[in-house]
Amino acid sequence: MHGTTHVDAPGAPGIEHDFNVGYITRVEGEGSLRLRVRDGAVVEARLSIFEAPRYFEQLVVGRTPDEVIDIVSRICGICPIAYQMSAVHAFEHLFGVEIDPQVRALRRLLYCGEWIQSHALHIYLLHAPDFLGYPSAIAMAADHREIVERGLAIKKAGNELIKVLGGRSIHPISVRVGGFSKVPKPAALEEVRRSLDAAVEASLETVRMVAAFDAPEYRREAHLVALAHPTEYPYNDGRIVSSDGLDLAVDRWDDAFEEVHVEGTNALQARTHEGGVYLLGPAARIALTAGTLHPLAAEALARTGMADAIRTNIYWSILARAVELLHACAEARDLIDGYRRPDVPKVPWSARPGRAAWATEAPRGLLFHRYGVDERGFVADAQIVPPTSQNQAAIEADLTAFAPSVLDLPREVATVRLEQLIRSYDPCISCATHFLDVRIEGSS
Amino acid sequence: MTPQRPVRLIVCGTADRGDDGAALSAVAGLLPGLPAHLLASIDVRRCEQLQVEDLLELPDETGCVIVDAVVGIAPGAVVTLPLEAIPCADREAGIAPRSSHALPLGQMIELAAVLKGHPVRGSFVGIGGRSFGYGRGLGRTVRSGLPAFRAAIEAELIRLAVPAHPAI
Repeated sequence: MHGTTHVDAPGAPGIEHDFNVGYITRVEGEGSLRLRVRDGAVVEARLSIFEAPRYFEQLVVGRTPDEVIDIVSRICGICPIAYQMSAVHAFEHLFGVEIDPQVRALRRLLYCGEWIQSHALHIYLLHAPDFLGYPSAIAMAADHREIVERGLAIKKAGNELIKVLGGRSIHPISVRVGGFSKVPKPAALEEVRRSLDAAVEASLETVRMVAAFDAPEYRREAHLVALAHPTEYPYNDGRIVSSDGLDLAVDRWDDAFEEVHVEGTNALQARTHEGGVYLLGPAARIALTAGTLHPLAAEALARTGMADAIRTNIYWSILARAVELLHACAEARDLIDGYRRPDVPKVPWSARPGRAAWATEAPRGLLFHRYGVDERGFVADAQIVPPTSQNQAAIEADLTAFAPSVLDLPREVATVRLEQLIRSYDPCISCATHFLDVRIEGSS
Repeated sequence: MTPQRPVRLIVCGTADRGDDGAALSAVAGLLPGLPAHLLASIDVRRCEQLQVEDLLELPDETGCVIVDAVVGIAPGAVVTLPLEAIPCADREAGIAPRSSHALPLGQMIELAAVLKGHPVRGSFVGIGGRSFGYGRGLGRTVRSGLPAFRAAIEAELIRLAVPAHPAI
């Protein structure tokens, strides 16, 4: 962490104090957290995202659907497939494109690759050091080399999967409206299939390791939102459901939610139309759709006995992420076993004007895209709502609720706990600006 | 002929993002002009974005030259740094990670050194970029800096490959 400043003990009444952490490390991008404390109580928690706005919604105007798919993948180096998937499904839904079932399976396989590399990176290199008492993965590697090596091996399996299907592991280029520009021969998947055997075993060990971590005591009943599908753990298809009974078609996100601009941040935040705060991501997905987990992942989750803790204590999102990591590795293996190369990589399609909208489940949560398509088939306007900007208000709510419990702790300890909470969301600031310095200040 | 040491040339960047393609362009122009005995010792790997696995996969006896476009120096200017010096330089500069959930270069080099049990030996050669926009080629300033960039890369390849230069 950088730039921590402290004027007085935060819990001392009647005294002004200031708590400032320059940057939250081990998150993606740049932003700050300001906590305003009065008489030992947090009266305001504000995440200020100051990474420059990225204007992707304007960059895609005037572009064709296939160009949009390549452009939006550049929003994020860790979840480019999520951006491609929300976009391609939005266009296909509008254009009435029916894709080959094997293409659909390949897209799930590609999404598995993204979840594997993203979750492995976050669990092992970004979040585990918090739980094991290390300032970084580098320091952790000196004492727990085998842990870091295991994480890197799982991550590599995900990267290889993306490379085989997407043409390259960062910003893949094969997704096209109607299918793929190229699909692999079954033999091309054999090597990655072998690495997935090892990744499944390593992911089982990941669940066991993470379930044995000590997490801070904390409980908050969050409003949970995720995609849900009757038979599949949600990636590309399903309906938008919530812990309070919402059930929406996947293209109707904006019937229940809206983006709002909050002063001091370059990212739009999202709320329900009633102003409600909600939580997306692994914990929400596990809580709402655990019934569709791969049997191996469901069994591993059941053995931990921690499903309720995942739902109510955001620090246990690392366990939710580990269960999903296992799910993605196991499902990827099954998908490869059932793969039959489609006759053609993509089906022909014709653009039609209208509203193209879809949501898919990025590693960090639901990612909604909406495009207006004009008579010529070009994008006329766009709305991209990433999971981190939707989770930003939930992060602030969790910080407001949790911070009082650490304000009497030594400054360094309190800072670590607050950063750990923020990292529990695996926030992607770069995605959201299209977001961290932590600062606590206050007066009596 | 005196046997040479193997060197892996890791070329970072993407050709369709303006000055981010500088390393690709420089290496494409450099390789055909290298003497055969030097070429024989060089293993070229293209890498859009460096990952720690790229460093962990380096055989112990192999030197490494990482080339990429950079920000923080004047566009077109060339910088050469020993890999071992980068973690310290990052810390002194107070560099925070900025993109893609990836570890910054200095942390990647430190992590690789911890896991390998010895430092990653080699050099980083960078050229300052100005514009990294989508669908653009190299800017004029970077194009004019390519000869110096190529010369710096070649110098590091020779230094690491030739036994008379036991620098690695």
